[in-house]
Amino acid sequence: MVIDFNTLYNFPSRFDRVFEDFFKAPMGNDRRLAYPPLNLSNDDEAIYVRAEVPGVKLEDVELTLTDKTLVLKGERSAPEGKFYRQERPSGVFHRVINIGVPVDRDKVTATMADGILTVTLPKAAEVKPRNISIEVA
Amino acid sequence: MSEIVKKQETEVTRYRPATDILEREDGFHIYIDLPGVKRENMVIDLQDDELTVSGKTSLAQGEKEHFVEAQFGDCEYLRSIAISDIIDRERIKANLDGGVLELFLPKVEKIKPKRIEITSA
Repeated sequence: MVIDFNTLYNFPSRFDRVFEDFFKAPMGNDRRLAYPPLNLSNDDEAIYVRAEVPGVKLEDVELTLTDKTLVLKGERSAPEGKFYRQERPSGVFHRVINIGVPVDRDKVTATMADGILTVTLPKAAEVKPRNISIEVA
Repeated sequence: MSEIVKKQETEVTRYRPATDILEREDGFHIYIDLPGVKRENMVIDLQDDELTVSGKTSLAQGEKEHFVEAQFGDCEYLRSIAISDIIDRERIKANLDGGVLELFLPKVEKIKPKRIEITSA
């Protein structure tokens, strides 16, 4: 039999978890709210949406880009067998991400690496910062 | 408080990754979610009865990126699982694919009953 020893008997690590939760409230809380966890960032060129979806293949994810939102849909299936412990979330997930900036729809790309999905949404030309040279008369 | 000590050592937060442990006819299968961990950044150790899996994520993020929302970040995953004698330690298999580590722990071929002879003096 495989015994997940820690959860029952490893008291130090249980205490650690209490402190972990206490110290890392801003990130720790969010992790449990919605699946999958998302990172949203942007730079001058594009908006990046990253999601932690381990075990999900790119073809199993449905990405829909509407005027103001990016919809991320997919399903994670649980393995078959007699479970001793089941912590990995499974089932259908669905997240809607608001995109406030116009994007270049034709150049949107999605990649999957090591269980992390990255969607790159290049900003439309009109919102990119531009240098305007001023000529002295 | 060990948490403070840990932070000084590693600088990244340490998480217990979500784990499924299940049994099938051929043996035990363990699935561990390790998103963002590359094969070369993870270590699987078997010491005595304890199987320890650890891995560090390497999220390649641009320097000029400005974060609006961050629900995950670079971290270290650490999990140990105690295993018992009916597992064939020589044939344990591990496979990391798409951020999920799959461990296969086969049972020993046959647990033979052993008779202990009593020698009379």
